[in-house]
Amino acid sequence: MRLIIRDDPTAVGEYIGNYIAKRINDFKPTPEKPFVLGLPTGSSPIPTYKHLIKLVKEGSLSFKHVVTFNMDEYVGLPKDHSESYHTFMFREFFSHIDIPPLQVNILDGTAKDLIGECNAYEARIKEFGGIELFLGGIGEDGHIAFNEPGSSLSSRTRIKTLAYDTILANARFFNNDIAAVPRMALTVGVATVLDSREVVVVVTGQRKALALSKAIEEGVNHLWTLSALQMHPWALIVVDEDATAELHVKTVKYFKSIERVQEEVEAMHAALREQGVEEQVGSME
Amino acid sequence: MNGLICFTNCLLPREDGSLIQQDLWIDERRGVILDAHRTFFLRKERPDRIIDLGGNILSPGFMDIQINGAYGFDFSVYDGDDGAYREGMKTVAEKIVETGVTSLVPTIITQERSLYPKILSLLRPFATPISANLLGWHAEGPFIQLAKRGAHAPQFLVSATEQFASFEAIYGAENLTDREDWLMDTVNDGEVGVRIITAAPEIDGVMAAVEETVKRGVVFSIGHSIASTDIATAAVQRGARLITHLFNAMPQLHHRDPSIIGLLGASPHLSVPMSPNQLVGATTPMSRSDSLKRRLKVAEQEGPKAVSEAFDDLLTPPQTPIFVHRDSELHLQKGKVADMAFERPFYELIVDGIHSHPNSVRLAYSAYPEGCILITDAMKILDPHLRDGVHEWRDGKRFVKEGDKLYLEGTDTLAGSVVTLDKCVRNFSRFTGCSLGEAIKCATFNPAKCLGIEDRKGTLRPGADADLVVLDRKGYVQSTWVKGKEVWKRTVT
Repeated sequence: MRLIIRDDPTAVGEYIGNYIAKRINDFKPTPEKPFVLGLPTGSSPIPTYKHLIKLVKEGSLSFKHVVTFNMDEYVGLPKDHSESYHTFMFREFFSHIDIPPLQVNILDGTAKDLIGECNAYEARIKEFGGIELFLGGIGEDGHIAFNEPGSSLSSRTRIKTLAYDTILANARFFNNDIAAVPRMALTVGVATVLDSREVVVVVTGQRKALALSKAIEEGVNHLWTLSALQMHPWALIVVDEDATAELHVKTVKYFKSIERVQEEVEAMHAALREQGVEEQVGSME
Repeated sequence: MNGLICFTNCLLPREDGSLIQQDLWIDERRGVILDAHRTFFLRKERPDRIIDLGGNILSPGFMDIQINGAYGFDFSVYDGDDGAYREGMKTVAEKIVETGVTSLVPTIITQERSLYPKILSLLRPFATPISANLLGWHAEGPFIQLAKRGAHAPQFLVSATEQFASFEAIYGAENLTDREDWLMDTVNDGEVGVRIITAAPEIDGVMAAVEETVKRGVVFSIGHSIASTDIATAAVQRGARLITHLFNAMPQLHHRDPSIIGLLGASPHLSVPMSPNQLVGATTPMSRSDSLKRRLKVAEQEGPKAVSEAFDDLLTPPQTPIFVHRDSELHLQKGKVADMAFERPFYELIVDGIHSHPNSVRLAYSAYPEGCILITDAMKILDPHLRDGVHEWRDGKRFVKEGDKLYLEGTDTLAGSVVTLDKCVRNFSRFTGCSLGEAIKCATFNPAKCLGIEDRKGTLRPGADADLVVLDRKGYVQSTWVKGKEVWKRTVT
């Protein structure tokens, strides 16, 4: 696992935006072989979306041949509700980029058969050959997607009851009316995320500091579902300074040092590629 | 290309007068504004054509609900040739778009009575593929007050002794049928059509005709009138929902009898529900019949005078009468105003800096911003390309145009307006200090709401007609779109 530390959320967004852009461009996606990208909602990824939009408007990135899968959606909230994740994704990202609507996949929380919807979602991800890169964020309790504390680390896409913490945190989007916050969501599972070839997680702000520490400095634990990332062969966490507040100084220093080494390794690999050596998947770990 | 357009990098005026940075999607073929969210997630489409507006404002097209003519054509002049009249309508409709106007209500001043049925039947909703929409008609007169006749011919003014039947006799019964019937044999399905009558409620029989007029789907507007406060209030209670060119052709604001202008400050205390059958006059607790009688007497004595509408006023009314004492509980919510028995009427303002002083404009807007409607009341010589100087009018009379001022030759009598609506919007923002978005609202959403067509015109709601105007940050028109097509574009000079 790599941990990248940047000064503030904007710098984090720029780093991840550039990173994803490079991955998509290097992939050289085509209609037959699209780049499959997993996407989150919430406030943490907004700077990343802003930067990606800027790259698209500048012409250095296109989503014409990108297929997206979103992590989750509330159950029972109409798609055009102002707080639905359909609305969020359209407002913050999809309306500003060039992605064809048919290549956008978001779980339908208004489906009659919710279990069927979840199973079809997993099947559709498989149809595209799995997710190339899953971008994620975390909650204050360390949840990734709506995989709240105690979720099985081998869970797949399914119906999930929201933790009370999450309901409280989301009440601000529903006029502070706790009764109006949906109680259930459809979400990809921890295993769905772990199945993707690469996982990139954005963690910003001091309120997420404890979750970050639990996820990377302690063992794999279903009470902090992000910690399952420790089992993933190619994971990247990008954080701001505030989010490192609960980490050991030693941890921070270690990850800062390996970022430098990583750059050297990447330069070396680029040189190898030019000589015609096939690139390997994975990080330097 | 899928025929969808996305306007991006622009500010959109919202119905509350604010401006928001947001894209707008339209369907060029159907000529309507799209719900972008539904288009994306349900139709699974996104616009192939993207237009970057460079930070400009994308507003609903302007709406002018009182305009007498433009580009040399006078809606009030019919010389027996239907073809020539229609050609005139076409000229105005196609040229006016350069002023940002995409909808207008042609206005005819008082006519010789035999002309009404003919002209009104010609003024059906009309548009060409590259023109603004003529929405119907606005008949100003002939049921108006002699003392406040302005430029209307005195010999054609009449009273409505037969009440609504008099209206039908003048305008033609076929022109006053129920809205559905009136629109039926017109144009395409779902076409918008509106009718407005400006009349003075104190004229014999007019008050009794208000309710039936409104019932037929015609907007009743109070104007060219010396109605006292109680008469004006009663007219609103019967359904009048507009005041024609506020401040002009009506008594000036007198604090003891604020008359028509006073409706903008209508007090909840006075608007106790009246029974519709209750006669205006002595029985109302707020009777002002004395002051009205005095006005009428003065009007009779002085007779018709060709003077400016705004500056002939009458005696000081007697002291404010004492109203019926009421003793209900007072409400305790700061910022709330007690319920009114009626909605205050919309009011038209000519914001050329001449017909109303900037202070008066601000005063009216501060009193009731939601009712403010900008109009040009323009004469046929309205044409932004026309030079200052002397121009022909009619009956051998001539105009002198000096900027936005228009006089009858040899007099200092204001002969009407030549201001364009886009200039009114800019003036209004300066005069009142309001934002450009709030000024735009007074030329788009407010008039549409007054006419009851705010689901189709004067708005950027999904499903509304894609009638749009692009303005720069100074309020100058850059391009105009009607039904999803660009019909005018500023050429760089």
